[in-house]
Amino acid sequence: MNGPLIVQSDKTLLLEVDHEQADECRRAIAAFAELERAPEHIHTYRVTPLGLWNARAAGHDAEQVVDALVQFSRYPVPHALLVDVAETMDRYGRLTLSKDPAHGLVLTTTDRPVLEEILRSKRIAPLVGIRIDPDTVAVHPSERGQIKQALLKLGWPAEDLAGYVDGEAHPIELDEDGWALRPYQKQAVENFWHGGSGVVVLPCGAGKTLVGAGAMAQAKSTTLILVTNTVSARQWKHELVKRTSLTEEEIGEYSGTRKEIRPVTIATYQVLTTKRKGVYPHLELFDSRDWGLILYDEVHLLPAPVFKFTADLQARRRLGLTATLVREDGRESDVFSLIGPKRFDAPWKEIEAQGYIAPADCVEVRVNLTDAERLAYATAETEEKYRFCATTETKRKVTEAIVRRFAGQQILVIGQYIDQLDELGEHLNAPVIKGETSNAQREKLFGAFREGEISVLVVSKVANFSIDLPEATVAVQVSGTFGSRQEEAQRLGRVLRPKADGHKAHFYSVVARDTLDQDFAAHRQRFLAEQGYAYRIMDADELLAEES
Amino acid sequence: MSDPATPPRSLAEALRHRDDASLGALLRARPDLITPVPTDLTQLATRAGTRASVVRALERLDRFALQTAEALAVAAEPASYAELLGLMAGYEVDAAVEGALPRALGTLREQALVWGGDDRLRLVRTARELLAPSPQHPSPTGLGPTVQEATAGMSPGRIQEIVGAAGLPSTHDAVSAVAALTGLYGDRKRMAALLDQAPPESLEVLARLVWGPPYGQVTADPAARLRWLIDRGLLLPTAPGTVVLPREVALHLRGGHAHRTTEPLPPAVEPAAVHRPQVVDAAAAGQAYTALATVAELLKDWHEGGPAVMRAGGLSVRDLKRTAVALDLPEPVAAFWVELAYAAGLLASDSEADERYAATPAYDEWLERPAAERWARLAEAWLTATRTSGLVGGRDAKDRSLSALGPGLDRSAAPEVRHRVLSLLAGLPTGAAPTADSVLARLRWERPPRGPQPGDDLRGRLARWALSESEMLGVTGRGALSAHGRALLGAPAAPAAETLPAGPGDKLPVHRTSAPTPPPPLEPLTPAEQATASAAAIRLLTPLLPEPLDHVLLQADLTAVAPGPLERPLADMLDVLADVESKGGATVYRFTPGSVRRALDAGRAATDLHAFLAAHSRTPVPQPLTYLIDDVARRHGRLRVGAASAYVRCDDDAVLSEILADKRAAGLRLRRLAPTVLATQADPTALLDGLRALGFAPAAESADGDVLITRSDAHRTLPRTAPEPVPDGPPVPDATLLSAAIRAIRAGDLASTTPRKPSAAPVSGGALPRTGHAETLATMQAAVLTGETLWIGYVNAEGAASQRVIAPIRVEGGFVTAYDHTADEVRTYPLHRVTGVAELADDGD
Repeated sequence: MNGPLIVQSDKTLLLEVDHEQADECRRAIAAFAELERAPEHIHTYRVTPLGLWNARAAGHDAEQVVDALVQFSRYPVPHALLVDVAETMDRYGRLTLSKDPAHGLVLTTTDRPVLEEILRSKRIAPLVGIRIDPDTVAVHPSERGQIKQALLKLGWPAEDLAGYVDGEAHPIELDEDGWALRPYQKQAVENFWHGGSGVVVLPCGAGKTLVGAGAMAQAKSTTLILVTNTVSARQWKHELVKRTSLTEEEIGEYSGTRKEIRPVTIATYQVLTTKRKGVYPHLELFDSRDWGLILYDEVHLLPAPVFKFTADLQARRRLGLTATLVREDGRESDVFSLIGPKRFDAPWKEIEAQGYIAPADCVEVRVNLTDAERLAYATAETEEKYRFCATTETKRKVTEAIVRRFAGQQILVIGQYIDQLDELGEHLNAPVIKGETSNAQREKLFGAFREGEISVLVVSKVANFSIDLPEATVAVQVSGTFGSRQEEAQRLGRVLRPKADGHKAHFYSVVARDTLDQDFAAHRQRFLAEQGYAYRIMDADELLAEES
Repeated sequence: MSDPATPPRSLAEALRHRDDASLGALLRARPDLITPVPTDLTQLATRAGTRASVVRALERLDRFALQTAEALAVAAEPASYAELLGLMAGYEVDAAVEGALPRALGTLREQALVWGGDDRLRLVRTARELLAPSPQHPSPTGLGPTVQEATAGMSPGRIQEIVGAAGLPSTHDAVSAVAALTGLYGDRKRMAALLDQAPPESLEVLARLVWGPPYGQVTADPAARLRWLIDRGLLLPTAPGTVVLPREVALHLRGGHAHRTTEPLPPAVEPAAVHRPQVVDAAAAGQAYTALATVAELLKDWHEGGPAVMRAGGLSVRDLKRTAVALDLPEPVAAFWVELAYAAGLLASDSEADERYAATPAYDEWLERPAAERWARLAEAWLTATRTSGLVGGRDAKDRSLSALGPGLDRSAAPEVRHRVLSLLAGLPTGAAPTADSVLARLRWERPPRGPQPGDDLRGRLARWALSESEMLGVTGRGALSAHGRALLGAPAAPAAETLPAGPGDKLPVHRTSAPTPPPPLEPLTPAEQATASAAAIRLLTPLLPEPLDHVLLQADLTAVAPGPLERPLADMLDVLADVESKGGATVYRFTPGSVRRALDAGRAATDLHAFLAAHSRTPVPQPLTYLIDDVARRHGRLRVGAASAYVRCDDDAVLSEILADKRAAGLRLRRLAPTVLATQADPTALLDGLRALGFAPAAESADGDVLITRSDAHRTLPRTAPEPVPDGPPVPDATLLSAAIRAIRAGDLASTTPRKPSAAPVSGGALPRTGHAETLATMQAAVLTGETLWIGYVNAEGAASQRVIAPIRVEGGFVTAYDHTADEVRTYPLHRVTGVAELADDGD
């Protein structure tokens, strides 16, 4: 007994990464356990019912799971845990959703008491139709997603064998001229296609768009792509035209300004969730074509109404893309039940080791509030406190110092508060991109930044997602949306694209000491710290002293 | 054994013929017979025949021996071995029964429940009474009374009619008629011929009654199918409207079987799975380690004062729930650990005014022992404990809920059942895990439960608990007895399993075709033997337990992982410095500002903490952690908080300096907090008085800073009730009490004036009768048989002597139940309180 794995009583698995069997073990447990934290020495996986059921769905059985645990465990595995694993996995597949030639969608069971139990549930009753025979009950085809979600919550997940519609065929090929899908991208596309639907988790800058393109080339059918905003929609379009056989004319944009429906349509979440007089007027988009594939970009941001629409789309293939499946609202399980299980997940550090994302130097710079600021902070209203400490005067000095230090490199300054950003823009003599900046202006500035015409850009949270700034090498974060972990990860992602000269990326987070700002920063950094990014802490004085 | 030349005439005589070894076996099996030691064999035989002792002995018989005794109870007295075999095996040859019967009979003889040679087997009378069928107590055999018993009250004419209907010649008297009927029913050929003539519906009736209960209801005008049976005596009337199937007829219909199913052999304990011994030992060791960790965690949770002791004793439901949550275990499991720690002497009530549970000094010693020794201590305590945590949460006979650590949890059978279950496991091949049901079936065979629902018996529940507890404690692993568990029992090495399936998951069921030969039962160990066995278990367990580590892995996400158990001082320090996030084989700690502050509060300096982490980390200390400690340390202690009960403030700090400098103010223990403030622990009144004594004129200040005006308040008690008047003498008795008193006086009068026979011991007029104990008993027993009324002297529990006239109904277990003429009701008197007995003179009637 000297395996790399330690099984904890709370069902977490600790994997010692430096152990010689670590890789083998990682492959064995990845099928059923979620990677929760990946710091430098010990990675933490968690065994959840959802993970076990996903493993069942992917064709693993309890015996394999138990074998993997027993084989690699350093200490004897608690018997109760093994029994629990077997029992949990046994719950999967007692109920099956399938197509019946006569009755349409039906729910069948191999264990009659289970069916009786779930039919008595208030949540299931409205979703099912007539009882066809003691083991079978009809399900309204439109409730396929709802019933799956409800069954999952009841702990009796249904195996969905009803299959997918092929959708309207449309030729799409990858145009691999001078580039090729990276091995992990290929693997992700393959896993997704094999599984039917699901979520692919890749770090920022690791080429999620290409995974989407790869999936489209597999599906070869009309595709609906849902993205976060218009800039992102343009980028998708640009990328697809460049990387696939699709032409500009085949790709439509469905946003606030344009309403085009083409074989490949890119829509923003915002336009879909616009509500007028209590109804969602743009919902017909989902039915306007016989879509064969629906792509969800940045699935961690999926707004609640989209969940509801998605529930009605269970017969279509769905692919979710994200860098960080952490939602501060805790609705990860809805993502899994409605879009599909996680089909591919690559730890950031692994992709970095393969050289596909740049190594990053993360620094937290701690600034002291001046005495006057401290008093103002202490007396501020609770809701104003964060703003007070996040916009301290000292931060500006530190930011200026950092910008001076990396003069000549492409630098992004990111913040939350417009006043602060305007002031910084003025001092740094750099353009500011914020909510009110028009799309044309934004694209112009982005283009200029990309070309190297301007080297410093100050951006608000509008630029959080899906802007492509290939040569940004330094990011300075002066304030953020409170303790949002995924925002921090996304911002780091801005500088992770591999640099032409193999340079390190730099990520600075400027934080006011002994204030809420510091607490939020600790929370924000947690995801990245768990992904193995060790933050270095620096004193502002130290930094300023180096300057002079 | 009995001397064939002169067959014994009584149990006492049979006992007299037995050798010392055989008597020793009897006394070992029935230890109640030698408490106190009987004076002679006659007394031993008498005691062996008492109801309580026989019941106890019968309860301890295995199923086949009990069935044999039941068969003897329905056989003629005395019965021959052949007759007994016939009842047990039926008309056919049954090799299994034939093989097992001598052993069962041997057991019964050894236990002095049966005596006499093979030709004249006699069941002890009390046992016969207990086991023979009667309308009140149906026998487990389901047989009814014999023809002779059933026809006891029948008119001779009716008997002759039956004899005639059955096709027998009429006889001159009832006795011979009954004998003829009995003979017919016992004769297989003639009986078969008789039943051949029966209408099929009548046979159906017989088929319904044959396995019991043998009683049936009939109307005044029975149907033809019943009439046919009643006419031929195949059903005999017992009471109006009730008929019974006579025993002889039932036996014929059953093919001679006294029982529907005889179970001559114990059911085999079936292994459900066979694991590799290494897997079993590792799993058990893992669980053993968890057990130690759980007990330590429990007592750590109770470190600063455990939960309060309820007034009735024990732990309240809420405290148990809270403990269960703290241990992250289900409540019954938490109750088990609490009880185990209690049984091992690691926790107890502190017996203080505000009684709480706390760890004992023995716990601190226990903590210092190596892990295997700690485990052995727990396991030994568990083996012998009579307290059963499985009962917690249930209700006792008085419907009080049973609480953990509370009273009413002792079950004397628990250690024996536990030991028996483990011995059964020890009898299996190494690594074989039996099904719980087969273990229970075996236990039920060895000691058939009394009562109708076999699933509900205490022994069964105890056995199930024993199985699950042994798993939790790591005596067994994956359901099979571990090597260290086996050593702990002092059991010999087991035969190796025939098949050893490979692979880590090995849990393929293995079916055995032949029942294994039952291993010799394991005796519970004496303390000395147990010490040796424990030492052996410790030797086996030690290498399986993980070695404590002296290092942790620190990570940049502010966690520390201890990849195994930690050495004590290191673990203690980390517990203070960090919060435990996840437990199990390893421990994950998380450093938070709060946890670091706790360490600083505990008196550690930041430099100590840095040095500690650097010394115990395998990896460089991550910079964020260093920062965290420095950050917290920088702010630690900047604000100071203390308690003061009074202060002096004055705008003129010279006055305060003057007070401080004054030697007479030393008693006030004033301390300067600021130039204009002094604080003290003395209360404000004392301070005021002190300052006044120094010649100052201080004014008291309210909480708001206002000057306080003092005036004296009136002193009042809490609300009180006025005293009750004390009456003179007792209250006047009411009519009921008066009439009862008069009746008692008159009855006492009757007892003292009734003329009596002269008794063995001369009785002076008015004095209590005095007779020896043996004579008292004999006279009482005689009176039960004859229905005589006796005059007794009796001393009640308060020591008051009285004379009573009683008619004894039953004498047993040291008590006489009698109709008391004095009190005019049925009462029970302990025989040892009866000073003597005398018969009443006959001329009383």
